[in-house]
Amino acid sequence: MIKQLLKEATPSFAWKNKLHSWRAEIFAGFVGAILVIPQGITYAYLAGLQPEYGLYCAIFVTLFSSILGTSSMMSGPNTAVAILIGIAVLPLAGRGSPVYIDFVFLLCMMVGLIQLLFWLLRGARIFQYLSPAAISGISAGAGFLIIMASLDSILDLSTFQTTFFYEKLYVIVSSAEELINPYSLVIGVATIMGGYIGRRYSPRYYIIIAVTAGYLCGLLVAFIWPQPVTELEYLGRMPLQWLPFKVPTVNMEYLMSSIKLIPYAITIAFIGLAQSLIIVRELKMETDQNINLNKEVYAQGVANFLAPFFSSFAGSGSFNRTKANQSLGASTPFSGIAAAGFVLILITVLGPILTYMPMAAMAGTLFLVGTDMIKWRDVKHYAQIRSELFIYIATFISIIFFGLATGIVVAVFLSVSVFLVRISELELKVEHTDSGPLLKIKGALFYASVAHLTEKFQSHFGEDLTVDLQYTTHIDQSAVDFFIRESKNMAANGSKLTLLTNKQQQLFLSKLGANSGINLVSL
Amino acid sequence: MAAGSAISPTQLLGHLPSFITFASSIQWLSALASDTQTMKSSHFLTFCSLLLLTVSGSHGQQNPPSIEQLLNEPFLDDYYSNVVYGYEIVTDTQKNASRYVGNSLNCSSCHLQAGTQKEALPLNVAGMYPKWRAKNGKRNGIGLRIRECFLYSLDGIMPPEDAPEVLAIAAYVTHLSQGQVLGAEPEGRGVPTLPDTGYDPNPANGRSVYLEQCSSCHGIQGEGIGEMPAVWGSDSYNKGAGMNRIREAAGFIWANMPLGNGKSLSHQQALDVSAYLNLQYRPADPRGSKFFKLLEDLFN
Repeated sequence: MIKQLLKEATPSFAWKNKLHSWRAEIFAGFVGAILVIPQGITYAYLAGLQPEYGLYCAIFVTLFSSILGTSSMMSGPNTAVAILIGIAVLPLAGRGSPVYIDFVFLLCMMVGLIQLLFWLLRGARIFQYLSPAAISGISAGAGFLIIMASLDSILDLSTFQTTFFYEKLYVIVSSAEELINPYSLVIGVATIMGGYIGRRYSPRYYIIIAVTAGYLCGLLVAFIWPQPVTELEYLGRMPLQWLPFKVPTVNMEYLMSSIKLIPYAITIAFIGLAQSLIIVRELKMETDQNINLNKEVYAQGVANFLAPFFSSFAGSGSFNRTKANQSLGASTPFSGIAAAGFVLILITVLGPILTYMPMAAMAGTLFLVGTDMIKWRDVKHYAQIRSELFIYIATFISIIFFGLATGIVVAVFLSVSVFLVRISELELKVEHTDSGPLLKIKGALFYASVAHLTEKFQSHFGEDLTVDLQYTTHIDQSAVDFFIRESKNMAANGSKLTLLTNKQQQLFLSKLGANSGINLVSL
Repeated sequence: MAAGSAISPTQLLGHLPSFITFASSIQWLSALASDTQTMKSSHFLTFCSLLLLTVSGSHGQQNPPSIEQLLNEPFLDDYYSNVVYGYEIVTDTQKNASRYVGNSLNCSSCHLQAGTQKEALPLNVAGMYPKWRAKNGKRNGIGLRIRECFLYSLDGIMPPEDAPEVLAIAAYVTHLSQGQVLGAEPEGRGVPTLPDTGYDPNPANGRSVYLEQCSSCHGIQGEGIGEMPAVWGSDSYNKGAGMNRIREAAGFIWANMPLGNGKSLSHQQALDVSAYLNLQYRPADPRGSKFFKLLEDLFN
């Protein structure tokens, strides 16, 4: 066991031999770097941090999880994780202040530790129980939250909180003249239009087209009006160090106040792993990569735990970047390592140009990402099965009204309970034979499903009943107790119960004392 | 506790709960006293309130912690960490607020001694804001004032209103302003206004004074040497900065320059040097087109 853990804990580099198309890998890394820069900056904004932290996250979280991981998944800054970090730490300190950053680092270390705990407990299995509908619902809800957050920057509102989203929309609409900065709005709309037009011609790079459109529009605005008039918010210079190593501050006071962060740390660890493992599972099904799920959990945990040491916040796998990576022919973690390097190089080169990048343009790309996450296709897809549609809609609504954390709890609860309801249904078939009625049971017999049997037993009261358990997948103690009780009832009435079982079931039933009053027939 | 003894903000906070319990127990005792309706109750109440006053008085007299004390604290609460962050930005703007800075200056290049030196644009002016300023024709809060410093003197971009850097500097400025009279001008604010010398400033004379007295630190090309700030060129303040006004810069130069030997130049010499600096190349006023600024940035 320990040997296996150690084997998982060390980077394997097993992909070295498969590195036949390293050119494709490097190009995929380059594209991934271009894609991650606007995302890193905007997600840092969502997490309430300065933009450079998002870029560090794009470099170091990607690097660590690619080195330790086994798949071509692109890790790094992630929307849901960033939003949750912002929600968690905002009550403790003013956004972006030094204390805030310390708390973010503490939270990320907690997230990493919880994920490592998942790894030790072999928790990768758990994520298979989160239904796809719930995941799509969470994704759509997060998309909605992203759109609402992007409005702040597109309209240049000073951030204000309302209990529900429609109040915010109402305030914006009702006092649009005082609140909305027209220059900012023009740049934001130009970015979004650029994105929608760009998607027609190049669906893969449309975010970059959108950012360019917004940037050029911003230059045009700056060409005509100076900043004191427009009051536009610009990205500014980014002081990127090549190795921003720093041990995060941890002391008693921080730990005392961070108790409030623990529920969020669990939620972030869970949602981060859930996204990463869904991506990895898809990759495992669609490609021939040699993927080890437990090792991926370990990679995510270590990357998030080490992130604060390199001035980054926690991240997870990214759907859109992994898709782009895959379509460019990357099949090893090397593309992720290359992407991390390219981010560093690109930022060093692009730095002076990015200084005058309007935040409205960045928020425009955020808006595009958000609208992409709410997919009409998903609704249509899940509409075919009522329970799935219910999970999807309930998750979405609880996220937009009560926030991401509540929504995730609702999603988990609903998908587990729908699953439970479904497997507690039994397929019962009654055949009339010479020796009385024969009851065939298909499904799992356990405490929740035993109740369905009662009716059948009552309707055939007083007859010699034979129950065929060959197609029953699982029998638990309460089912055996039920049979014993019924057989006693029937014996009092002069009828008897016969169970048709296989060998294993026979052993189990006799062990629980069902062999005295019941006629057990092994087939 | 004697004034001036080292007391940390966390210690102050630590006193707070015990203080509250004390106050509430007094409330409870006084309620008890009024219930029994004894003659002594009024005396008791007076005694209690006196005790309360002395306790709160001893807390109120406490000197605010100095920056040095705060820097040595292992843990700072939200407020004081912002003060320290503001101090760090003012002393090392290049490192701590580089996002919004476009040249090689720090706040403390002009606000000498981290904004504590009189007649060198001291920062203890929080009590004077909001105030109307001719520069932008608006009533300015302290936030806008700080943001404009980034735009003009630091030749960068204006941070948003709620940028953590702006809030931190505002906290530091407020911290420095303790003890000042609200609404009044603190002693030694800004730079001294030089009296009229009767002569126009002479840049040619200024050049010889500059080469003789200033160039050893600020460089012959005004580029700044080591820690000393650039006084012209693309790495210095731009044409919208207050330092770009001849009289303002002359006041600053006369009172503080050469560094550590202020008030050694004559008024006329200070005016001449200021006029010389004013003729040199420096970044354009950002109130003009940003396009040229972008080109400047790209070429540098």
